[in-house]
Amino acid sequence: MVSATKQVPEPSSGETGNEPDVARSPNPEHAHAHSAPEHTDAISGVLTGLPFRTRIWLRRARIVGLRVWRLVRTGLIRLLPGVRFLLRALHRRWRRSLQFRTVLTTLLLSIGSFAVVGAYLSNQIANNLFQERLTQAESETLYNVKQVQDTFDGAQVTDQSSVITLVYDTLNAVEGRGSVIQRRYVFEAMPEQTKPRNRWVESRASDQLTVSVIPPELRKAVQESGKDQYWASTEFPVGTEDRPGIAVGNKVTFNGTVYELYLIYDLNTAQKTLDEIQNVLLAGGAVLVLIVGAIAWYVTRNVVSPVSHAAVVSEKLAAGQLQERMVVKGEDEVARLGASFNHMAASLQEQITQLATLSQMQQRFVSDVSHELRTPLTTVRMAAEVLYDARHDFDPINKRSAELLYNQVERFQSLLADLLEISRFDAGVAMLDAEPTDILKLIENVVEDAAPVAAEYGSEVTINCREESIVVEMDDRRIERILRNLVLNALEHSEGNPVNISVAANETAVAVAVRDHGIGMTQSEAARVFDRFWRADPARARTTGGSGLGLSIAAEDTKLHNGWLQAWGSKGTGSNFRLTLPLKQGEAISKSPLQLEPADVGLPGGPGEGTMVRFGSVSSPAEPADGAAPATGRDEAK
Amino acid sequence: MKARILVVDDDEALAEMIGIVLRNDGFEPVFCADGGQALEVFRSSKPDLVLLDLMLPGMDGIEVCRQIRAESDAPIVMLTAKSDTSDVVRGLESGADDYVPKPFKPAELVARVRARLRPGDQKAPETLRIADIIIDVAGHLVSRNGERISLTPLEFDLLVALARKPWQVFTRELLLEQVWGYRHAADTRLVNVHVQRLRSKIERDPEAPEVVLTVRGVGYKAGS
Repeated sequence: MVSATKQVPEPSSGETGNEPDVARSPNPEHAHAHSAPEHTDAISGVLTGLPFRTRIWLRRARIVGLRVWRLVRTGLIRLLPGVRFLLRALHRRWRRSLQFRTVLTTLLLSIGSFAVVGAYLSNQIANNLFQERLTQAESETLYNVKQVQDTFDGAQVTDQSSVITLVYDTLNAVEGRGSVIQRRYVFEAMPEQTKPRNRWVESRASDQLTVSVIPPELRKAVQESGKDQYWASTEFPVGTEDRPGIAVGNKVTFNGTVYELYLIYDLNTAQKTLDEIQNVLLAGGAVLVLIVGAIAWYVTRNVVSPVSHAAVVSEKLAAGQLQERMVVKGEDEVARLGASFNHMAASLQEQITQLATLSQMQQRFVSDVSHELRTPLTTVRMAAEVLYDARHDFDPINKRSAELLYNQVERFQSLLADLLEISRFDAGVAMLDAEPTDILKLIENVVEDAAPVAAEYGSEVTINCREESIVVEMDDRRIERILRNLVLNALEHSEGNPVNISVAANETAVAVAVRDHGIGMTQSEAARVFDRFWRADPARARTTGGSGLGLSIAAEDTKLHNGWLQAWGSKGTGSNFRLTLPLKQGEAISKSPLQLEPADVGLPGGPGEGTMVRFGSVSSPAEPADGAAPATGRDEAK
Repeated sequence: MKARILVVDDDEALAEMIGIVLRNDGFEPVFCADGGQALEVFRSSKPDLVLLDLMLPGMDGIEVCRQIRAESDAPIVMLTAKSDTSDVVRGLESGADDYVPKPFKPAELVARVRARLRPGDQKAPETLRIADIIIDVAGHLVSRNGERISLTPLEFDLLVALARKPWQVFTRELLLEQVWGYRHAADTRLVNVHVQRLRSKIERDPEAPEVVLTVRGVGYKAGS
């Protein structure tokens, strides 16, 4: 019996313990990498004498193991994307759904708090149960040890068999009457004492028990003390299971021998009660967590659903469905939100409708004014021209009047045309009529048309381009207008110096730079050239009679093409206007093929004073603008 | 013989001024101030050319243009106060050959009128082919497989210009100069719209032209 019980715990902690340990290793590769060479080592070392068949079997086992490992690995690799996808989906959900976040947080927090409360409760209950049992055990032990001692003291036996019988009977009585064992005992003679002749009993214990179930600390305490009683928690085997228990120890004397007597009380019922309580707590906690989760879901749904409804409605509103409104129910905060949201939407709708009407009215007005003004102007102009053509028959006063009339009608007409063009841009009715056109041809035409003006100013216009032809998707009417404007402007300000037109293209854009070497302008002036009716020098004579809107219209035309129109100037050195257009409409310009500040500035011989300053200050707004959104001249003013 | 020109414009002062200018240059103007009566006046006066204002009381100039074109090939030049793309294109599509935007110079107006009135220069008997289209230049006839195709004089001139030099690619500017008689660059939409109208009459499938081909970025040429 004794030897059988002694052997029970050993195999479980020995050989059998090792293998599951390896199997449970988190990295199967690791496990195999270790196990396989160990096997081979073992095989080569020990099993050389083994039959051939065994070696084959081992080999097969190894192959099967490798295959299983490969299968597991591919499975993991296959599963990994799925797991990753799931995590990402959860993460997205977490980011996007307020409800999901709230419910999840509530669940986690309630699980945490239930765990804390549950642990405290079960700990408290366990303590109480244990204390109660301990108190009982101590008092029972006190009584029983006294009983045993009394029985031993009063015994009048001398022969071996009756001594043994007496001891065994006394000890058996300790176990209690009835079929249920109330307490178990371990009876052991204290070591290190002279062995009297008539000591026939060395040790005795209840079924399956040995002295090894008594914790050494307890034994030590009992052995070293006088007549005091000690206790300790322990585990002891009953049948095939280990049960928790309390061991209470004391000494008894019999025939001059001091024995240690330990009484072991079963805590199994208490443990079972505790387990049940814990199960109940666990189940209750789980149910409560579920209920709390459901409540959180319900409550947040109630709160969040109007909010998400508001989000949907506001998205629709932002997309232009102005008649979209929220549903308002009750008088709570959500209803107030809805009501004020609807109010906002209504005023927004009103404003936008009003603006649309206004814009339509302006458009109509521009169109009407256009017609109403142009018809009489045509008559006046024709009449003026008829008079002008006949001026040689007039006396000097009338002749001069006819000339003035003719010239001013011309000027009035160009001013009106520009004004109408600008108001068309303002009304947003200017349309781009783009198609692929060779911009070089266009530039040649512009230069050809400007030849009389160039001759008048005594300037030469040169075109500098390496390409044979550059086809750009553009509205040639508008681009021609821009370029004509730039060329005429350059001629006007060139003071007889040559005007250079450079053209270059890259993968995304084409650039045309019109450079003059005339009076030039300062950086701040360059920033304002695209402003309406702006003139560099108000005192300057209006020689060409331009409307002052030419460059503004050019800037608007450029904007219509999603291009850039930028100006650079340097006082006394001249100025440079660069038009950059995307080769295809709808594509973005990444970088202009030409520099805004001309390369010839700053060369030896150029005016050194102030040039460097301008270099730095001009290049800084110009080059970043290259990377930025479509910049017209006005944007550059920043 | 003086060419008779019908001026359809509701602005009396402008009409009178146009009359003065036209008479000065040897034309015979006829006036009509109401769009509703324009067709009647056109029928009774049988003008050689019509100057037509787009905004008219009674009937829209574009509608008048369409009606006149429906029964006559007489050149129509629009007088437009609007230079918005849509209006000009609408006018050209309704059948006008050319347009003069207000305010115009008298010389400009007369040049446009003269360009459209160019007497059919004494053409030698000549037959041209583009694809399966046969053009009898002197007889002003266009046919495919013996079937006659009716073209306005402007469309005819455009087709002949392309057919005479089938190896050449015509830029829009060149066509404006040769067909419309513009010395300086003008609105190339004139060419676009008329090419489209021409195609709608002579192509089997205007979406996939075989007679008048587009050369991307340059202009047009005759098909082979």
